[in-house]
Amino acid sequence: MQSKRALSMHPRDNVATAVEEIQAGENVAIPLGGNFLTLIAQEAIPFGFKLALQEIPQGETILKYGETIGRATTTIVRGAMVHIHNLEGTRARGDLERGSAR
Amino acid sequence: MSFLGYIRSDGSVGTRNHVLVIPQGIIAKSICDFVAGTKTLLTVDHGSGRTANDREQIARVLIGLGRNPNVASVIVHAASPGVGYPELRAERLADEIATGGKRVELLDPAKDGGTYGAITKGIQLARRMVYEASTLRREKVGDDRLCIGVKCGYSDTTSGIAGNPAVGYLYDKIVGAGGTALFGETTEIIGAEQFLARRAATPEVAEKILRAVSFREDRAKATGQDIRTVNPVPSNIKGGISSLEEKSLGAIHKAGSAPIQDVLKYAERPTRKGLYFVDNWMGHLSIFAGYAAAGANMVLFQLGGGGVAGRTLLEGSPSVVTPFLWATANPRTYAASTDSIDFYSGTVIEGSETPEEAGERLYRVVVDVASGTLTRSETLYYTEPIDMYLEEPRF
Repeated sequence: MQSKRALSMHPRDNVATAVEEIQAGENVAIPLGGNFLTLIAQEAIPFGFKLALQEIPQGETILKYGETIGRATTTIVRGAMVHIHNLEGTRARGDLERGSAR
Repeated sequence: MSFLGYIRSDGSVGTRNHVLVIPQGIIAKSICDFVAGTKTLLTVDHGSGRTANDREQIARVLIGLGRNPNVASVIVHAASPGVGYPELRAERLADEIATGGKRVELLDPAKDGGTYGAITKGIQLARRMVYEASTLRREKVGDDRLCIGVKCGYSDTTSGIAGNPAVGYLYDKIVGAGGTALFGETTEIIGAEQFLARRAATPEVAEKILRAVSFREDRAKATGQDIRTVNPVPSNIKGGISSLEEKSLGAIHKAGSAPIQDVLKYAERPTRKGLYFVDNWMGHLSIFAGYAAAGANMVLFQLGGGGVAGRTLLEGSPSVVTPFLWATANPRTYAASTDSIDFYSGTVIEGSETPEEAGERLYRVVVDVASGTLTRSETLYYTEPIDMYLEEPRF
């Protein structure tokens, strides 16, 4: 079966971005330093959306471009989609500020 | 490389050759409706009831647009609601624009026979000024005379992967040639500010970048609201961006890799050449007029568009006097609105070009447009109003 493509922006990243429509169960190939990391998509990943390159435990930092883009609000399995349902940004959060002030 | 531009008396170089009529209002609009080759702006920000800081900001936009190298000459009228304030007096605006050496004419309904009289006189003046401007010829100049401003918007994940990196290449190329490049959007560097601070030309500039971000972040926190309900905006989230940090880290790719010379205010003119960060707000109705007022002779909108369906026509944003380019790396955005888009770099995602190759193509598009090739949005009359970036309360 032909693999679908996703791109990792930095060797440290634990997510990659789908550059094709990926269906659940399809093989995904991510170019990494001259080789390919391959995994199986656990669910449909639309074009431009992210998938986990490894299991990401709840509370763990999520890295893209080699930098922090947020943390996992739940444990994310390898090959699952990573988006607002399981990733939360932590910067400029007035709601968190209010909570900590209580 | 070089381009063909209009050399102004202050040494700056225009990519266009307009006669500008300011401020907004029926006098300016009537003159521009009547006389070809003229430009004016549409805005509700006239200064009345605004604080001194905001009035000065409005003045900076108007003076800056007048001094813009794409403007051959300027008519200033004295019929705006804010004209009574010292910052916004027509004579003050005219005098400061004239320091650049270009022709500036004043219209005052109180002296020129009322509104009708001022319009009539303005039409006669504008016709002569447009004719006079048309006698100027483009000349070959180095691309150190380019001054470009950029915003990325309707961002999706193609923006960070392929769209902004091509713009970053362009920015490095322009700065490397001795030109000037402006980027900004302070909210959209939250999460990426340390990376930018490391690129500051001096420790003081690094401190200014970090201060601009902490000021903005503190204001966001002071609302008590979850920033995720504000920014990333819904179209970003629909396009695959999950957090403000992710948006920021993708957004800063458009700034290339050159040292950051300074942090500028909205509509503030850089004093030297090179790459500048502008402490501004992302709104497209605000940001491009600010870049034009800072002296940009071209502006570029890097469009994601993955979260926007059905936009088959892209209208330009108001920069008033500069060519406005649309660029995208999203194949669907490009397919939906091909005839609105000046540059496509989805090739980087498709694997047929590197970001550098795409950036080199973009550079050639920019040089062509600088020399007179129209941008797609320049083939439309439609223009949107300006929403000046004013932050203080109104009274």
